[in-house]
Amino acid sequence: MSLTVPTRKPPTTTEPVFSVSGLWKVFGPKPERVPEDPELGTLTPAELRSRTGCTAAVRDVSFDVRKGEVFVVMGLSGSGKSTLVRCLTRLIEPTAGTIAIDGEDVRAMDKARLRELRRHRAAMVFQHFGLLPHRTVLDNVAYGLEIQGVGKSERRERAAGFIAKVGLEGMEKRRPGQLSGGQRQRVGLARALAVDPEVLLFDEPFSALDPLIRRDMQDEVARLHREEGRTMVFITHDLTEALKLGDRIALMRDGQVVQLGTPEEIVGSPADDYVREFVRDVPREQVMTARRAMRPASAAETAEGPAVRPEATVAEAIEAVARAGTPARVMDKGRCLGVIDHERLLGVVAGVDTTTATPARDDDAAVAAGGRAAGAAPAPKKAAPGRRRQATAPGPRTSPEAV
Amino acid sequence: MATLTIPTSGTGEPRVLRSRAAGKLLLLALLTAVLLPLLDRWGNGSWPHALTVRLDTPLTTASDWVIDNRDSHPLFLYFFGYVSNAVIWAVRAVYLTLLAAGWAGVTAFAALLAWRVAGVRLAAGTAVAFLACGALGMWVPTMQTLALMVVAVLASVVVGALLGLAAGLSDRLDRALRPVLDTMQVLPAFAYLLPVVLVFGIGVPAAVLATVVYAAPPMARLTALGLRGADPEVLEAVESLGATRRQRLLTARIPLARKELLLGLNQTIMMALSMAVIAAVIGAGGLGDRVYQALASVDVGAALAAGIPIVLLAVVLDRVTAAAGDGTTRPRTIGWPYALAVTVAVALAARLLGAPDWPGGWTLGIAEPVNRAVDWMTAHLYSGVPVVGGTADWAGHFTTWVLDPVRDGLQWLPWWSVLLVVAALAWLIGTWRTALTAVLAMAAIGVLGVWEPSLDTLSQVLAAVAVTLVLGFATGIAAARSDRVERALRPVLDVFQTMPQFVYLIPVVALFGVGRAPAVAAAVVYALPAVVRITAQGLRQVDQAALESARSLGATGRQQLWQVQLPLARRALLLAVNQGVVLVLAVVIIGGLVGGGALGYDVAFGLAQGDLATGLVAGAAIVCLGLMLDRVTQPTERRAKKGA
Repeated sequence: MSLTVPTRKPPTTTEPVFSVSGLWKVFGPKPERVPEDPELGTLTPAELRSRTGCTAAVRDVSFDVRKGEVFVVMGLSGSGKSTLVRCLTRLIEPTAGTIAIDGEDVRAMDKARLRELRRHRAAMVFQHFGLLPHRTVLDNVAYGLEIQGVGKSERRERAAGFIAKVGLEGMEKRRPGQLSGGQRQRVGLARALAVDPEVLLFDEPFSALDPLIRRDMQDEVARLHREEGRTMVFITHDLTEALKLGDRIALMRDGQVVQLGTPEEIVGSPADDYVREFVRDVPREQVMTARRAMRPASAAETAEGPAVRPEATVAEAIEAVARAGTPARVMDKGRCLGVIDHERLLGVVAGVDTTTATPARDDDAAVAAGGRAAGAAPAPKKAAPGRRRQATAPGPRTSPEAV
Repeated sequence: MATLTIPTSGTGEPRVLRSRAAGKLLLLALLTAVLLPLLDRWGNGSWPHALTVRLDTPLTTASDWVIDNRDSHPLFLYFFGYVSNAVIWAVRAVYLTLLAAGWAGVTAFAALLAWRVAGVRLAAGTAVAFLACGALGMWVPTMQTLALMVVAVLASVVVGALLGLAAGLSDRLDRALRPVLDTMQVLPAFAYLLPVVLVFGIGVPAAVLATVVYAAPPMARLTALGLRGADPEVLEAVESLGATRRQRLLTARIPLARKELLLGLNQTIMMALSMAVIAAVIGAGGLGDRVYQALASVDVGAALAAGIPIVLLAVVLDRVTAAAGDGTTRPRTIGWPYALAVTVAVALAARLLGAPDWPGGWTLGIAEPVNRAVDWMTAHLYSGVPVVGGTADWAGHFTTWVLDPVRDGLQWLPWWSVLLVVAALAWLIGTWRTALTAVLAMAAIGVLGVWEPSLDTLSQVLAAVAVTLVLGFATGIAAARSDRVERALRPVLDVFQTMPQFVYLIPVVALFGVGRAPAVAAAVVYALPAVVRITAQGLRQVDQAALESARSLGATGRQQLWQVQLPLARRALLLAVNQGVVLVLAVVIIGGLVGGGALGYDVAFGLAQGDLATGLVAGAAIVCLGLMLDRVTQPTERRAKKGA
């Protein structure tokens, strides 16, 4: 599994675009009683269904989407992520909770205001594209503008620009049926971009595509994000995709967010066994950063050795250390934040936390205790590196030296 | 996985079915045992008189009232009168336009239209078909039928599309309309004639309105289906872009339903043609009238001369509208302005050359040679052909050995046992709901006092269905198992399925004379294509994985057929039975015009003699019979799907 985390622009501000709190979506008879009743809210999905006949697709979810970030909602099928994203623009009416876009209450909007929101502020890209088969590519891309009442020549001109932007020049006159899956999704992307929305919502946009095309499209989205800095909410069931694109990831299970954090936090300190199982096969050296792997430097070490940026991945640091043969310094604006040596790097790769590393024999006991402790609560924005790590490879390891 | 399903479906399911069926039968038997002493006082023979309601007197009164008040009552003056006048005016306008365009203009326009929507081959076919109509000396009747059709189709499309739009947008209306439309679809065309005659009298308005009532349901059903069947993700995408309801309807739902809408247009046109021909018995004029008059005097040649244009018209209309709806994009051919200009030019040219009407010298009189051939057949093939016997002999034998015993048997059965059999069959195949409807419909026939003729009709239907199913299943299985058979059958089935019911009477009268046997034969021929097609399709659509696994286990062809294909195609086979029954009934009723007797004859008699009461009662009985037969053969799955 090869995976590179592109160097991201950090979000420009921390002001939220979407602010969701206590959101519920319950399907079934008399759904409003489920969020109201604290007892029903704690039941497992199966119990809830047998007790009330309801299914809670989204259970008490809260998060903020910050301006300019790519916010990924990840979960397996049936975890409620697609329902969640549809609740944001009320394509599915939420049962309880609040949603605000730029501070404005979405649930309180009347029809006209909601239409305004859908037309100008949030555009969506769908898993199966949702293109109009009877229209040409050009008219599909211009469709959102047509809905807004933009004149024919103007909307076509603007649409042509976005078609070029997603790399479909020369295909304007084709119909969706004559395009490949990847090309169709480019049309879907161009259609969403054409209305110049504040937020782009992606609902598993690449799940229906071949792996190679999928990678192209992911690069395309990453490029668009780099160029335009548009806020994106991205739904996916593919961890690789989530780690590749996401500034922050909300991991969902059974309608609840089990962990919300940066890719590094998700991989580095999983909140519970479920998340840990999920991220087990991730090549950690490509997700974890130097900042996280470093240790405090002694006075002598700050002076020499190769320099790496704090955002550099461990993989990059490994290369630097291997070339120089000495520990690398983590430098930020000329200041040395810490150093990375062989042990720290190996610890990251092996999934063994070197800060509190103990001899291998004791490792298992520590994991067992840590699993329970960490599983108790989601750990968003946990500043300190994960305290206990599970070894990904079986068998005793050479015990790392204590620091 | 597929391997696993075969043994279970082979052994487990029938036992479950049998036990459930046994339970139903037991319950029915119990019910009968309880009720029988109560029913006993009404006797064991035909439907008891005590339970009959004579509707003749009130109906005659009503009909007389309508006739007396047609020119004075405000309801007629200010509503039906306007409707009637509008229809007459519209049909006349279209008819005069067609005549003004002349044969050359009409042919040119039809060909250009076909070229525009369906390509060059169909354009040539259309031109040839129209010229053939002229050559057979049927130009004027063809134009009469066409004028009536144009008006009826336009009205049907408008009515059907509006109803379909309402049903497509509102769930409640959909639930209310769907059973009505479904039922209208299974009723024989003949049942629609009398109520309109009661209101409008015999004539063109009645014919047009009967046609509209008959032809609008498919348009309504398919419009609703198309609007409801749109890809939900596309609609969601449209909504996510902030479209209003109206924008969503106009830019997404209706364009997405294009295929269904055009299919609806196609079906509406075909049903309108079928009805426009049958409506000859209530004064539609045109080709149907020629066939009707000719059949009344057993003049097969003249009937054929009028029947061939009907078939040509049907095939052309079907192919052109079907091609317009198949969705393939064609290279642009000719713009509408050019097509109109060419038409006008051709019409003017023909007029200037002095031939606006079909030139008399170009007419091909086929009536006489055909009649000579029929006479020869009558002389040589009707009877006494060595070994095989003659066609009239077959008809006679069929009547003596099949139709008579079945009819006598049905009429001999105690009335309650008929109801019991209906209930048992309907319940075994469908649900208790369908069983209840079927029993009530059958009982209504008794109450109407037409028990005996209805059982006569039923006996003809049963005999025809039996023959149809034997032939249809055999042919269908052959077509499903051999590509060559299917390829050979396809064009034949295509043509046979597009022909109006009425036309089938012509060849059977030529072969078998008049009577009940020819009516049955026409019904068999009419219903056969649908049964063959549904059977073959059902067998071919059987899960290939299941078939493959059976083959991998070493099943022979026969074992595959009996143990995998037929059980898995059960739904399709039941649907074939259902369709077969519905289609057979439609033609058996029309068979009343060629000596089939029973209910169809009562309707025709009522119309001919102005005795609307008899006709209306028979019409109501036809409706009940159609309802009963449809419900009895309606598989559970189909109901379940409709309910969803």
